Amino acid sequence: MHHMKSLRVILATLVVAMISVAVADDSDPRHERHELMEGVGKAAKPIGKMFKGERDYDAEVVMASLNTWHKASLEFGDLFPAGSETGMDTEAAPSIWEDRAGFDEALAEFREAVEAAQAAKPMTLEDAKPSVGPVFQTCKGCHDNYRIED
Amino acid sequence: MKSTVRVVAAILVAAGIGAWWITEPKPVAADSLPDLVPDAAAGELVFWAGGCASCHATPVNGKRAKGDDKLLLGGGLELDTPYGVFRVPNISSHDEDGIGNWTMIEFVNAMQHGVSPDNRHYYPSFPYTSYAKMAVGDLLDLRAYLDALPPVAGVVDEHTLEFPWTIRRGIGAWKLRYLDVEPALTVAAGNATIQRGRELVEGAGHCGECHTPRDRLGGLVKHRWLGGAPNPEGRGRVPNITPGGKNTSDWSAGDIAYYLESGFTPEYDTVGGSMVAVQENMAMLPKTDREAIAAYLKAIPIVDDEED
Repeated sequence: MHHMKSLRVILATLVVAMISVAVADDSDPRHERHELMEGVGKAAKPIGKMFKGERDYDAEVVMASLNTWHKASLEFGDLFPAGSETGMDTEAAPSIWEDRAGFDEALAEFREAVEAAQAAKPMTLEDAKPSVGPVFQTCKGCHDNYRIED
Repeated sequence: MKSTVRVVAAILVAAGIGAWWITEPKPVAADSLPDLVPDAAAGELVFWAGGCASCHATPVNGKRAKGDDKLLLGGGLELDTPYGVFRVPNISSHDEDGIGNWTMIEFVNAMQHGVSPDNRHYYPSFPYTSYAKMAVGDLLDLRAYLDALPPVAGVVDEHTLEFPWTIRRGIGAWKLRYLDVEPALTVAAGNATIQRGRELVEGAGHCGECHTPRDRLGGLVKHRWLGGAPNPEGRGRVPNITPGGKNTSDWSAGDIAYYLESGFTPEYDTVGGSMVAVQENMAMLPKTDREAIAAYLKAIPIVDDEED
């Protein structure tokens, strides 16, 4: 009888643990950083279209994207804790954890490029190319070193 | 009985002589070269289109060379493949260790016929099957540019391959089947832009070497030209870049040209894997060349995606 009770407790604990894992999924750093990165890409899209001449320049849209990026640049650093190196199809490369200082520096470069573009307040396409263009290069630079190649 | 043995022996000897003759390296003679003055500035564009640096630039601290280090062509990169490890040789202008003292015809024979100055076959990991489709004039220009780059000392070790790939002579038979100067595709003959794109993609750019699947003997499967292939360097697949490919079918020609220039996909993901180096090379070309590549890729036959 006593044994049955402990078994029930163990089962209940297991069920609760499984539910919390399922619920915790959304707050998993691998999930969060993926969502954050998707948002960064979405914010780049309209600016890219302006650069390609596929849509008219819109300073408001550009500033909104810069704000999205700035927020992301402050949040990314906390989303690569130890223990989140693999799993959930993460494209984070092992080099993030092997060379944390280099990764943090790459993130800082992204933030600084965004801040410089925000300060420049580009009102025309001609202004945006030299101020916002460098932000795009920091995306690429960081991906080259800290994202899994596939 | 004895005569049967003799007949069989005679057939074997004849077959052996035939095989030896068939697999013999077949370089071309110097008098086949066009009478042109090589232009090193034009050769620089051939150099980037051809992606020479992506394999031949000496790695720096175990990573691929960047910036001006791409111009130091001392070799040393190792390609770990199912056939064994290929070690990329020194093609710098160094007289002894590089190709500095090669004659022009030796250079052309290497690039288009896969034959070394000491008359041996090169393994097709060196993509001469693509370079065979280039204009010889482009090669003369390229050589002039290579001559102007710095000499780098040091000889790279030989390849370490698995049997039977160790038998170089076998490449002679392979070439009969797979080395072809003709275009891979017949595309819109009257369209100069598409023709330029064909030259770049099928020739110097050697895009088919990774984007077209190979058969069991390592030759390209022509009817699935640029239709995607298993990644030779690890997991995943090299994408299908025909208009039928799921990754790129909704890319406009402008998207393709912009990707080659900037490294950004239409979704603003960035280029990854081996394509990073290729994209950076393509970014060095004139805009019209990237547009020509895009026009060609939009014009070629659809190959359906295939998982294997």
